[in-house]
Amino acid sequence: MAAKQNIWDRAFRVLASLKTGITLLILVGIACATGTFILQRPITEPENMLRAYSPQTLQWLDRLRLTDIYHAPWFILLLAALGVSIICASIDRFPKAWRMIARPYMRTDVHFRSALPMQAHFAAGNASQALMAAEKAMKHAGLRPRRVVENDEVSLYAERNLLSVFSVYVVHTSLLLILAGGIVDAIYGYHGYVTLNKGQSTDQIELRTGENKKLPFTLRCDGAGQENYADGSPKKYWSDLVVLENGRETLKKQIIVNDPLVTHGIRFYQSGYGQSGELESVKFYVTTPGGSPTQVTLAGKNPVQLADGSTLRIAGFIPDAAVREGEIYAKSNNLNNPAFELAVTSPKTAAGERLWLVPTVQPTVQAKESGVTIAIKSFDDVQTTPFTGLQVSHEPGQWAVWAGCLLMAVGMIMAFYLVHQRYWAVAYEDAKTGGTVLWIGTVADKNRDHFQERFDELAKNIREQVAQPARELTHA
Amino acid sequence: MARTATAPIEAPAATTPSGNALLVTVILGTVFLLFMAFLNVVKPADGAPAGNLFNEDNLLYVALILYSSAAALYIGFGVTGVDKYVRFASYATMIGFAANTLAAGHRWYSAGHPPFASIYEMLLSFVWTLAALTLFAERKYGVKIIGTITMPLAVTGVILMQLLSSAVRPLVPALQSTWLHIHVSLAMLAYAACALSFALAMMFLIKDKMKTETFLAFTSAMTAAIYFGVLTRFERWGGLNVIAWDFQNKEEVFLQRGVRLFVTIPDLGWLFALVLLAAAAPLAFYGWAKWRKNDSSLVIANRALFISIALQIVALGAFVLRARNSAYPALDADGQLVTTSLSASPFILTGVLSGVFASLLYLMMYWRRPDLERLLPSAEVLDRVTYKTIGIAFPLLTAMIAAGAYWANRTWGSYWSWDPKETWAAITWLVYAGYLHMRVTRGWRGRRAAYFAILGFAVVMFTFFGVTYLLPGLHAYA
Repeated sequence: MAAKQNIWDRAFRVLASLKTGITLLILVGIACATGTFILQRPITEPENMLRAYSPQTLQWLDRLRLTDIYHAPWFILLLAALGVSIICASIDRFPKAWRMIARPYMRTDVHFRSALPMQAHFAAGNASQALMAAEKAMKHAGLRPRRVVENDEVSLYAERNLLSVFSVYVVHTSLLLILAGGIVDAIYGYHGYVTLNKGQSTDQIELRTGENKKLPFTLRCDGAGQENYADGSPKKYWSDLVVLENGRETLKKQIIVNDPLVTHGIRFYQSGYGQSGELESVKFYVTTPGGSPTQVTLAGKNPVQLADGSTLRIAGFIPDAAVREGEIYAKSNNLNNPAFELAVTSPKTAAGERLWLVPTVQPTVQAKESGVTIAIKSFDDVQTTPFTGLQVSHEPGQWAVWAGCLLMAVGMIMAFYLVHQRYWAVAYEDAKTGGTVLWIGTVADKNRDHFQERFDELAKNIREQVAQPARELTHA
Repeated sequence: MARTATAPIEAPAATTPSGNALLVTVILGTVFLLFMAFLNVVKPADGAPAGNLFNEDNLLYVALILYSSAAALYIGFGVTGVDKYVRFASYATMIGFAANTLAAGHRWYSAGHPPFASIYEMLLSFVWTLAALTLFAERKYGVKIIGTITMPLAVTGVILMQLLSSAVRPLVPALQSTWLHIHVSLAMLAYAACALSFALAMMFLIKDKMKTETFLAFTSAMTAAIYFGVLTRFERWGGLNVIAWDFQNKEEVFLQRGVRLFVTIPDLGWLFALVLLAAAAPLAFYGWAKWRKNDSSLVIANRALFISIALQIVALGAFVLRARNSAYPALDADGQLVTTSLSASPFILTGVLSGVFASLLYLMMYWRRPDLERLLPSAEVLDRVTYKTIGIAFPLLTAMIAAGAYWANRTWGSYWSWDPKETWAAITWLVYAGYLHMRVTRGWRGRRAAYFAILGFAVVMFTFFGVTYLLPGLHAYA
């Protein structure tokens, strides 16, 4: 039984020691640093990983989880060990701090008094008068002295910023809070992305891990846009989002970068914006034979009547065309290089004719049979449905993290800028001279040089106060 | 063999001159440069119409001149031991600070946002904070000599600014956040406080009678480390691989997202390798002297340092000349030939300048140690003030990290993504936490605390420069 207690006791001692804490701190630091030197997997493309490391090296790195250090089991274990050591160290040292509140050391003894670094004593006429003078001076200095009575002996005790004794525990608790928040987020949180065209809605998002996640609501995008500065650089990205539950609109918000939509604990951040490959409208400059160029706007597949009776309609649209050997191919769905397949019918000809307009190759084309010329003046005239890219995140643990940060701020202010001070004043009879001596002493747990000055001033005040009645006695 | 094995290296005794020569030279030089700058604005040489006198560039140039005068006077004091240099250096710092404040204010006004949006603006703020802290330390702590370290740093900063794009770019959406401003202000204050604690820790070591040859070893090790870092880009048989710098737009050239273009400067690699050897030589001789307990090697070590300084200046000149005038063809993302004109990659320039300044500071200590010690407060005071400074730096660091996390969460939905910059900021925080633990709980004072403070600042420097310039280069694909 005793041996078993010994092991737990010893284990606790080791965990609670500063050496363990610092060692763990160093190990965490080294682990973090290693993760910045070795390429990490989720962020780096697999092909880049293969280019940077030889296959054998990469195999070993992967096996040791060095390519995903921050989510590796041993890293999490390290952080957990650090948390445990903080807890043990706090438990170990807390009773001593608590004793400061529960049993303050109010009555001093001779040995304590002689050992204090900041102290002063001087001759006084009358014990109670001396103590009263000390009390007055202390009150003047902003302290609140208490009278301590024991065996008919009266002494004074004053204390300030007692709470600062707990500042260390506050700071460490806040650290644990932040760690806890991080762990909760690592387990229950997720991050993903979703792209919505204007008018489109979805109830699923794609997570960073690749899988899809179903949302407890439907999100619809009613509009998206971009505003630019005078020099063309982006000023604002915005999206109009609507949240629907069971068909009812429960939330509507226009979001911009830095101002997300929050619902059901899930946040949608304005991340990207672009023009999708769906054509909304396009403005052409059309010249009929014998006529002058007129602006014609086409939307959808409906034909438009021209001045001489011909009709023009869009038969096809490729947002990103590649022209190779006279053939037009679709390269992607991004609006990079629009190409229009136009159908022109003319009253002169019976059948219609088709032609392709690829503005980057040739901005003006002419239909051979009808003689209609169609041109595009600028790419701003090509409007496609905008899409918005939204970052999605669910971080249930973030409240613990923010609470931890605030608590840490409080703790640090307490730790660095609040000084725990204790003052004692005792009047006793000096064995040698037989006269009364007033002794005052103080202890401050930090910033001693500054407090030395303050204490010297207090001592001076008390000395003056004490000397006065003595002078009065002699003069009287 | 008159020296005993334990006698430290003695600096050659010299009488202190009246000091007017350097003072007059510096004052005249300052006035001359200011007058020429004034003329250049009011009556430009190329016939262009007169410019605005009080615009940001001119104010910054005034600040540069005055900071350089201050740095020269501080270092001049170090070399000759004349007290009045320190006083005039202080005046120069004050005037330079005023000009710097006006420049920053002008920038703020014309940009419409506080100067935190680009690296140019960050440097502007950093240099301003450095000057402010120097003046503050002089007044509050009475450490008048702190300018010897902070002023050369400020000069380096302003020179760097000349190489960077100063275009006032309107803030892109991600940067339009109050939390960004809070985060960056905290970062500036925190890093400046760390720099101050570093300077104080160095001064403590001087006052604590750390042997001059130990300083030699440190300086030599630091310079060798800088050149080693630069030479990790040594490739292709004598060429130096440098991140390509587009001189027109004053920015890096990217092949694709996150992948920078590297250009090889031929021959410069060999020169830098030679300088690395010269920089490491004093350290080698120091090691030999310690091993063999042989003092004559220390004399050789000091001589080796002179050679090292000379070669470093040659390297600096060669790099600047090569980088300014030459255009190096490189292939861009589409396989097209792109002529990139290298305007000294800021990382290498900063490294080389720091090496030169550190070596000069060592020389100053070698020649004028007793005078320096006389001008410094007691070792105990310096130790305590270092701790107080870190007591200011640490909460600022914490607040900076927290504000950054909150901003990241609002903008990208994730408060911590183990990004290298974030991770190294956390490591910096851990190091300073270690310092506080060892000091408060273990009672570490004096030497060990000073070493810890210096280590902390080294990590700060890596977070600031290394992450941006060294880490991406680790896995270059160009």
